[in-house]
Amino acid sequence: MDPQMMVELGALTLVGAAALIAGVAEDLESDVGSQSNPNSQVQLAPQMGYLHRLYNKAISGEPASYPFYAAIGASTALSVLSVTGNSGLIGVFFALVAGAFVTSLIHGVYATTSYMGRLASQSRFGQPIYLDVLRTHTPVLMAHGFVANFSVLLLSWVLIAQHFSPFPFVVLAFIWGIALGGVGSAVGDVHLGTDRYYQDRPYGSGVNAAHSGSVVRKAESGLRNSIDCAWFCSKFGGPLTGLGFGLVVYLHFWKEVVVTSWWSALAGVIIVVIFVIMNTYLERYSRQRYGTYKEEAEE
Amino acid sequence: MVWFSLLYWVWIILGGILIGAGVHFIPVGGAPAAMSQATGVGTGTTMLAAASGLTGLIGAGSAYASSGGNFAYTIVMGGVSAALMISVLAFIANVMYVYGAGVPLASAKVKYDPITKWRQDLYVSRGTEGHGTPMSSFISGIIGAFLAGVGGALVYFALAASYAGISGFNATFGGYPAPYYVSLAAAFAIGIFFLNCVMASYNIGGTIEGFHDPKFRRLPKSIVASLVVSAVGGLFALLIVVMLPGGI
Amino acid sequence: MAEGERSPRQLLVIGVVGGLVGIYLANYLNSMTNTAWFSFFAALGAVLAVFWGADAVRRVASYGLGTGVPSIGMLSLGAGQVAVLLGLAVAMNLKVHWAAPIIALILAAIIGIVNGVMARRVIKMNIAIMEMSMTEIAMAASLIILGFSTAIAGGFAFDLIMKYVVASGFIIAVFIVGGMAMLHPFNACLGPDERQKRTLNLALSTGFIAMLVAGIAAGAINGIQAAVPTMIIAIFGWIIYYLRFFADTKEDAAAVLSTGLLPKEEEVA
Repeated sequence: MDPQMMVELGALTLVGAAALIAGVAEDLESDVGSQSNPNSQVQLAPQMGYLHRLYNKAISGEPASYPFYAAIGASTALSVLSVTGNSGLIGVFFALVAGAFVTSLIHGVYATTSYMGRLASQSRFGQPIYLDVLRTHTPVLMAHGFVANFSVLLLSWVLIAQHFSPFPFVVLAFIWGIALGGVGSAVGDVHLGTDRYYQDRPYGSGVNAAHSGSVVRKAESGLRNSIDCAWFCSKFGGPLTGLGFGLVVYLHFWKEVVVTSWWSALAGVIIVVIFVIMNTYLERYSRQRYGTYKEEAEE
Repeated sequence: MVWFSLLYWVWIILGGILIGAGVHFIPVGGAPAAMSQATGVGTGTTMLAAASGLTGLIGAGSAYASSGGNFAYTIVMGGVSAALMISVLAFIANVMYVYGAGVPLASAKVKYDPITKWRQDLYVSRGTEGHGTPMSSFISGIIGAFLAGVGGALVYFALAASYAGISGFNATFGGYPAPYYVSLAAAFAIGIFFLNCVMASYNIGGTIEGFHDPKFRRLPKSIVASLVVSAVGGLFALLIVVMLPGGI
Repeated sequence: MAEGERSPRQLLVIGVVGGLVGIYLANYLNSMTNTAWFSFFAALGAVLAVFWGADAVRRVASYGLGTGVPSIGMLSLGAGQVAVLLGLAVAMNLKVHWAAPIIALILAAIIGIVNGVMARRVIKMNIAIMEMSMTEIAMAASLIILGFSTAIAGGFAFDLIMKYVVASGFIIAVFIVGGMAMLHPFNACLGPDERQKRTLNLALSTGFIAMLVAGIAAGAINGIQAAVPTMIIAIFGWIIYYLRFFADTKEDAAAVLSTGLLPKEEEVA
């Protein structure tokens, strides 16, 4: 193994680890805020007569808000770097921290506006705005957002520094932000939407469309808040999102580092085929293990 | 007078059509998918296509730079990178459905899966339109992401190859390592990508399961829209070459 | 249109005139004084364009687009950035530097009309104001991109924008931050009791946040001269309009409670 590849694989490991952390933090952040897909249930609940104390953060979907944060963070980091002029390791580190910090402030502001805006636009259903929900949840989601954004900025910076991508820093962070949001809303949200919001319904089936909006509003003790949801989703939804985004980023560059030229296209195709085979087994397993919902009708 | 290569314009238009067509293949469950109420990956049409297609754009950008502008390699890497992204995404989402929500993967739009021939309707839970990404939607998603990735890579290739010819566009600015032409081509490729995938998602209007979904028959309308939209967008982007005969 | 609302035409004038005046002031005051102190005018112009664009998004998205509100912003910003760069290049080629923002605006209108016609006539979306809205949003998007780009670069000459905004990658930050500022207000206030005044106050507040980001990015290019005035004005503007938005929220919401249990059913009218 040539030394260049060793260095690149080392960098890639760091990138993959950063992506994993980004995925976990991203999903938990969106669970605290009820962002993206399950937001539709929180939005619907007051209309169906179920008033709640959940957060309602609609800063678009996750795949639109994460590139937004990433682009702000990357621009801030570049600006800080140009002011300090320190492009050594420690200078870059603090620039990225500054980027993620400014982002988390803007994230918090946007989150409060969407909570207040959405609930004020539902006044005819009598949904009150709870300022203590704003005060307790907003810092939590800012903190998770900070971790997620710092990880995205870090991985983009390593990719640029190691010449994995010719794109500018901001553009690369933007695209990985979209991918992160895509994975987060496709994977982690299912745990929140299907399981956590409908824990009073039988496990092991989709949510009947007739029950849409009747989210669980009472907790083990007192009323349910969205921080409880993050606690619940951190057991499975968050880590799985992290695994997903980590694999996306790692495999994307793995195929270009380990083999080069046309072989990397072939490696990509082989990985896709492996995932198709794994999915076939998974699908068959789920069907055999869980069985059918209805008896087969006579034909 | 410098004129832009007509071939590059054709590639941008073709790329736009492929992006629009690819969006129709990608199984999108939208918001209901998160409640296991609809088959497909749980994100909006536009952003799921963008998430996979733009990951493909990163692959295409690296391939373009490393191969010195090899056409075939750039577009194939764009397509493969996008397909890889969506296969990982859909598989992990399926793990979530099976182990996190405890539902089998099933579609309510067809009785038998066109690829595996497995019975579907019995596995759909009450009051839902299916859940997870079963095999034919999975394959459809990979095809769709491949098309969208190839489309994005075609747009990027055409723009990068055109802009690389402008004198002064190979320069870099200060400590920023990206040359002018790479930055401009990447920014416009993202813009033209969004133009086409938003048009396609308006055409779909909500959720789609893949090539076996009845909504898939709306594809021709989207192709016309993509053709016109990317022809205008591509023309505008390429006219920059004409407007800068002496470079900058 | 309810009592006390701003009409679309009024907002169009505010957006176009405000946006252009801001961009011109920034460019010519900067070049006359040979500094970057006046860059903030362009960002202020862009904030007015956000104000207008947010209302255009509000009008079209209240019909229901079939997919999220953000899609139309993404589409228009994508179209807008192509139109802006081509507009600047045309002005450079024809040696009419002063006309660059107007050319960019016209090109954006053309691309917006094409998108609108495609969406309405080919895709057959049943939204009567589709063409007009797409055109307005694309024009607002072009002013937003040009305004914030001018604030970052200090002027709107093609080579300046190319070097300082595109090559550094800030163009994508302008794209998404400007787009978010325009589409977030309606998306955040979505609901049956949405009210124009509240949405537009929020639009100004998000517009000033975008201006803050433009100010930060300008710091990387023109240093303190461009960054400090832009950021200070942005922060003050944001505070004013955020507080106004908060006041509107208090007025509109069913109740604003500091804490409490869920209201009983008989308490909900």
